[in-house]
Amino acid sequence: MKKRGIGLGCAWYGTGYGNGFPDVSSAFVEIHDDGSATVLTGAVDVGQGSNSIYAQIAAEELGLQAQDICVYSADTDATPDSGTTAATRQTYNTGNAVLRAVRQAKVSLLDYAAHKFSCPTAEGIELSGGYIGVKGDPSRRMPLADMVFQARLQGERFISAESSTARSTPVDPETGQGAPYWPYAFGCQVAEVEVDTETGLVHVLKVVAVHDVGKALNPTQVEGQIAGGVAQGIGYALLEELELHEGKIKNPALSSYLIPTALDVPNIEAFFVEEAEATGPFGAKGLGEPAMLPTVAAVINAIDDAVGVRITSLPATPERILQALADKKEEANLKGE
Amino acid sequence: MNTNVVGSRVIREDAWGKVFGQSKFPADVNLPDQLYGVVVRSPYPHARVRNIVTEKALELAGVVTVLTAKDVPHNSHGVLFRDQPVLADYVRMVGDPVAVVGAETMEIARAAAKLVEIDYEVLPAVFDAEQAMLPEALPLHPELKPTNVLYHMPIRRGTMEDGWALADVVIENEYNTQHVDHAFLQPEAVLAYVDERGHMVVQTATQYAHYDRGEIAHALGLRFSQVQVKTLAVGGAFGGREDISLQIIAALLALTTLRPVKMENTREESFYSHSKRHPMRMYYKTGATKDGKLVAMEAKIVGDAGAYASWSINVLRKSAVHATGPYVIPNVSIDSFAVFTNNPYAGAMRGFGAAQTVLAYESQMDLLAKALGISALEIRLLNHFKVGSTTATGQVLTGSIPLDQCLAKIAPYLQKGDGIL
Amino acid sequence: MMDIKLMVNNKPYTLNIEPSERLLDVLRTRLGLMGTKEGCGEGECGACTVIVDGKTVNSCLVLAAQANGSEITTIEGVGNRRKPHPVQKAFVEVGAVQCGFCTPGMVLSAKNLLDKKSKPSDDEISVAMSGNLCRCTGYDKILRAVKLASQEGN
Repeated sequence: MKKRGIGLGCAWYGTGYGNGFPDVSSAFVEIHDDGSATVLTGAVDVGQGSNSIYAQIAAEELGLQAQDICVYSADTDATPDSGTTAATRQTYNTGNAVLRAVRQAKVSLLDYAAHKFSCPTAEGIELSGGYIGVKGDPSRRMPLADMVFQARLQGERFISAESSTARSTPVDPETGQGAPYWPYAFGCQVAEVEVDTETGLVHVLKVVAVHDVGKALNPTQVEGQIAGGVAQGIGYALLEELELHEGKIKNPALSSYLIPTALDVPNIEAFFVEEAEATGPFGAKGLGEPAMLPTVAAVINAIDDAVGVRITSLPATPERILQALADKKEEANLKGE
Repeated sequence: MNTNVVGSRVIREDAWGKVFGQSKFPADVNLPDQLYGVVVRSPYPHARVRNIVTEKALELAGVVTVLTAKDVPHNSHGVLFRDQPVLADYVRMVGDPVAVVGAETMEIARAAAKLVEIDYEVLPAVFDAEQAMLPEALPLHPELKPTNVLYHMPIRRGTMEDGWALADVVIENEYNTQHVDHAFLQPEAVLAYVDERGHMVVQTATQYAHYDRGEIAHALGLRFSQVQVKTLAVGGAFGGREDISLQIIAALLALTTLRPVKMENTREESFYSHSKRHPMRMYYKTGATKDGKLVAMEAKIVGDAGAYASWSINVLRKSAVHATGPYVIPNVSIDSFAVFTNNPYAGAMRGFGAAQTVLAYESQMDLLAKALGISALEIRLLNHFKVGSTTATGQVLTGSIPLDQCLAKIAPYLQKGDGIL
Repeated sequence: MMDIKLMVNNKPYTLNIEPSERLLDVLRTRLGLMGTKEGCGEGECGACTVIVDGKTVNSCLVLAAQANGSEITTIEGVGNRRKPHPVQKAFVEVGAVQCGFCTPGMVLSAKNLLDKKSKPSDDEISVAMSGNLCRCTGYDKILRAVKLASQEGN
């Protein structure tokens, strides 16, 4: 018989290295003579799309488009150390470093422009749509490229180097008391499953995921992280297990170590909650790891909802489900006697 | 804050190169006259290498060199401690690299790897973390720790006696999670060469180029300024590319032979050359009042670190800190352990110790709800963190803590079921 | 050694190869077509997918000799920056690309599906893409991209 159930899972995740470990990111910025710019950072884009995020941050700050920004990363001869692409820290931490570097380059640019426009303070200058000019006076502006080029003739260059360090402190080794991570990210997911009581097979029909991201710097990438996390969570809950015999891996192959395929992953509805994190770039916090956390709980709780068995050892393979169903039946029989 | 570019669905620049097949992953780059490196790995989980005979391998036409532990200037690497050998003369897990063959083709290198004769003195091994904690277990890293307990993190908050006295319902359970592989799609690959400046250039896929540079420089006795790590397209990582895999070995071959060196793992080799997600055994006892308020929790978490420390201390710390789930519990006692065994070493993987505990704390929440006759949503709404909540480590949460908003958004989806939800 | 003839991306090649060489190695090593990836070497992951005489195959499981006389399409033969294939355009626009290692195989599987059936159902799309593993995206946007390409292709 096929039975359906729904399960809820919540999770939290302290982002960053944590526990007082120096969590530093760095970036170099150069604004070019044609008004485009380059960002150099050591942060590796492992496929999650951090380079695009840095381009968006720099473009936003300079009144440009993302394609006006060249992001070059992760070459130790050319880029500054930005720590590891891990701990859900690159959007937050290196994002902050890029933002600080762009702002620093911008300070000298705005000062130069203020002087050019006879404006007593850089506060009166704005960058927008590829132009630099006086706030509120559209007649006094010029293409950013012209301004940067003129500045070069006078020996002024708009380049910068900045770093950003996340806050965290070590906990007390005896009591574990302290503030080890910052910021924390939250999320919850609901899974609907169908359990075949004859075969023990669990089919995940749908996952709804809601994650706290501070600010979604790129909603497409947020959705991508969530769906990828859900798929890995389903693999963790139902499929994946390294089988060891005396330390030797019995299934070192993708034919025997099974990860989810397009047929194992359900319809995923991804939502995000935006409540700005004051210390993050444009209010953002990271999402990479939190995206996969609630899935395992949602699936395991949904199995219980469907067939009334509590799986306590992962993965919830058909064998484990059938065993749990048999144990439950036996228990019921004993009670009946 | 009004933004134009931030918050928009900007198209990733790298996506185009990827859909046209132009993006270069490390397996896709080659240099003329390159050698191919293949690693000889230990079949034993714990052994001392007594002797290595390389003659037969070297006699095979096309074999240029076979390197072993004695050829590595500084034979160690590691993210927290340098406890991992580049090439082992003492083996702590199946798959530890013991020798590397450099040959004119990949086929010759693979054939020669089978001809390297290694004499092992096999030692007793331990595969269960709790057994490895026992005092009689042979310590795997006596230079680091006198026992196999690499790390213990206690968290103490409130008074357990008071907590249990308040509890009307108590749920106690043991949870187990498994070894998991990152299974990123692109197996490890490296191209290493000494360039025209005399610098060591290593092109690879990594999560942290600057860390790799430091480890390569350390092992080979070079300055940071003489080592360039250039990251090519990375075919997934998820924590599995934080530790060193082939980078130092390839650089060592290149430095020794002064020829470019290409190394590329098969999928099977890949399983043996990066970390795993920690399996954890988690003993949980959680108590709530009849009103559904959590009042006490005790947990013991034992993580199997495997053969090397990698990030285990940080991982099991993260397990402990997150063990309560996102819930206020005034009386808490948590003990989290990272333990060496002769299993494949465990390290970083997406979720980093906070992924395992979700199974335990969220199962406990549902079981408590059931026992109390309230819904899964209700019990969470009664206990979840808000601004001003205090965590088990005594941290007061401020700023952006919108779990309430997340739950509000997901609540309608819980109405559809016909179960307890 | 033996001679074989292949038509790869509409270019004819005559190659002198070892009988044991895999089609994947011939494409990557002899022809330099690095867009075809190797992820597992046993036909499980689909990263090495190419189209041979109108069928998708895992080129790690096919000997080059078996492909003698065939017409082969690799990712290098599908679209370019000036004129991307609808599948490529959809993958980029929908955000179906993360690390990109599975992408060439995915694009070829999708293209071949749409060549055969211009309006596949959601289930047909999932089945057609199920031979290609992806570890990053959770498939969600990949399946949406194939759907979008099927709508825009007509």
